Amino acid sequence: MSVIQTVGLIREYQMGNATLKALRGVDITVHQGDFIALMGASGSGKSTLLSLIGLLDRATSGKYYLEDVEVSSLTRDELAAIRGRRIGFVFQNFNLLPRFSAWENVALPLAYRKGEFGPEEQYKRAMNSLSRVGLDRRAGHQPMELSGGERQRVAIARALVTSPAVILADEPTGNLDSTTGNEIMNLLNELHAEGKTIVMVTHDPSIARHASRICVMRDGILTEGESAHVAA
Amino acid sequence: MSLRDLLRTSWRGASANKLRAILTMLGIIIGVASVIAMLALGNGARAAVEARFRSLGANQVQISEAMSFNDGQIEQAGEILSYEDGLLMSEGADMVDHVDMSIGASGKARFGRATLDIQISGVTANAPENLATAGQVQPVGWSEGVAFTMNDLLADGRFFTPAEVLEKAPVCVIGWQTAIDLFGGDGPIGQMIRVNRSRCEVIGLITELESVDESERYRSDPNSILFMPISTVIDLFYEEEPSVQITAYVTDESRMDEAKSQIKEYLRERHKIEPDSEGEYIDDFNLTTRKDILGAQQEAANTFSLLLAAMATVSLIVGGIGIMNVMLVSVTERTREVGVRMAVGARSLDIILQFLLEAILISVGGGLVGVVMGILSIPLAASLNQGMALLEPASIPLALAVSIVVGVLFGIYPALRAARLDPIEALRYE
Ligand SMILES: Nc1ncnc2c1ncn2[C@@H]1O[C@H](COP(=O)(O)OP(=O)(O)O)[C@@H](O)[C@H]1O
Ligand SMILES: [Mg+2]
Repeated sequence: MSVIQTVGLIREYQMGNATLKALRGVDITVHQGDFIALMGASGSGKSTLLSLIGLLDRATSGKYYLEDVEVSSLTRDELAAIRGRRIGFVFQNFNLLPRFSAWENVALPLAYRKGEFGPEEQYKRAMNSLSRVGLDRRAGHQPMELSGGERQRVAIARALVTSPAVILADEPTGNLDSTTGNEIMNLLNELHAEGKTIVMVTHDPSIARHASRICVMRDGILTEGESAHVAA
Repeated sequence: MSLRDLLRTSWRGASANKLRAILTMLGIIIGVASVIAMLALGNGARAAVEARFRSLGANQVQISEAMSFNDGQIEQAGEILSYEDGLLMSEGADMVDHVDMSIGASGKARFGRATLDIQISGVTANAPENLATAGQVQPVGWSEGVAFTMNDLLADGRFFTPAEVLEKAPVCVIGWQTAIDLFGGDGPIGQMIRVNRSRCEVIGLITELESVDESERYRSDPNSILFMPISTVIDLFYEEEPSVQITAYVTDESRMDEAKSQIKEYLRERHKIEPDSEGEYIDDFNLTTRKDILGAQQEAANTFSLLLAAMATVSLIVGGIGIMNVMLVSVTERTREVGVRMAVGARSLDIILQFLLEAILISVGGGLVGVVMGILSIPLAASLNQGMALLEPASIPLALAVSIVVGVLFGIYPALRAARLDPIEALRYE
């Protein structure tokens, strides 16, 4: 069984009279335990593809199976529910809630699963997740009080807290210096080694080298490449 | 989200910008305070009317002399209201069943060596019944709300008859304290006392009375009293024809207005009041019914209430628009937050509830402050309305309900806007 399978995924944007084709038929299959680096020039459609995979957006046409469920016919709220359970997002700009402590940010996906997790359970799981990224001692701090690298760790902890089917990371090191970026990459590598499934967008070939597979977007078309080829 | 999580989220949202939230509450505060004050006025007027009702039955017309101002002096407008006016009224106005008259005098009562300065009430034969129905006094220890009759009022003897009233009979009925003062412990019935030198037989003893209204209880003692036929009092105490108080009892209480015109015609004829050059009558008497009291007091209260209702409506609408405005700003400011929440699984309803609850928190916060301000403003409202304002307990839950409604009404649109945001665009929002 594949975690993710898309068939002929097309995403078009209507810009006045013109139609912009961001994705021109993408077929990608992601298996359990894969660590995929999605590369390609700016504007080639990487973020668009990640949004579709993450159920934040709907394809214009084509099929998308998430854990063998075809999602195109689901309602907005059904998509939100699946997103909260099966997808973990890591963004370039962290996207943590200000005025909420690290652990509250991490617990947020649990809070939206009505009736499943009581307050203590939310706290316990958030703390587990935070200690996995080495930040349990900063649990009470607000994002403003944390460094960029720490913020991204909190975001990763938030993505992990629901044990999702896949972690989607869009340029997770894009806002970090190279040392901190490497630390985040090491963390993602560790998660991969533990068996997590990860799809990560990056420009940086040295970062892409960590991945088990590399896919390259070019003008809305996906081609699969070998790690070594791209690096060269 | 659980209610707990939801409340925490909305509370943080509302308190993120405290000054803004407090300013937004102002309209609600004023509106709710007005609602509380308005209902207090209505309630106060009702209480005042009810107090007056107790002493004026639905079938009664109170007749009093009209007063006029002259050189800063209050004086009688025309002829006095005489004993004879009352005596002949039921013949002259056939809707009047009977009348009740009274006159006061102060004099000395004497028995043996005991002498007493005393208030003397000249009344008609049914005075005890009026005492029983007026509801201002009751036998001591009487259980509240239980009706009592003439018999419950008399401890001993009897009250005087209509015939005795017409004959100026030298009889009297005395109060409990009067009996003690004059006779010590001895039975007073059948004894002859002197009232201002005239002999008078004690034929009845009133049981010990107390004021129904506790606040009145120590003002005057209803037991230091002496009742005599009104005709006897006029004869004994007045050299000239005195003014009396008349209450007319109308046969049909559904036709009070007709009865009033009959009484008016009757008195105009007796007092020889002619229309002036413009055909207007200048009466030297006033007629008052329950409806008149209700009308006058209600009118005063209504004017203020209307003003306050207008103020409340305007303030609540302004307050509501303020809330809507602040919530729209808040949603825009927190677009990215909405995107994040959607990304981690928030459904439309979760987002709607979050912002709706935030609006409700602001409006209910304003509502709570408004309730306090409203209660504090009641003395002020009372001073503007003849002292008639009384907190209506039901107005507190009502005011809070109103503020919730305002929060929902004006918070729903911003909340829906937030819930309809596109997650990708929201996440990308700077
Ligand atoms: N909401 C949108 N409306 C119109 N065009 C869009 C929108 N989002 C993305 N695009 C366009 O789609 C193309 C792919 O964008 P994107 O997926 O963000 O590229 P990448 O992440 O690879 O840089 C770009 O040409 C971009 O301008
Ligand atoms: Mg991108």
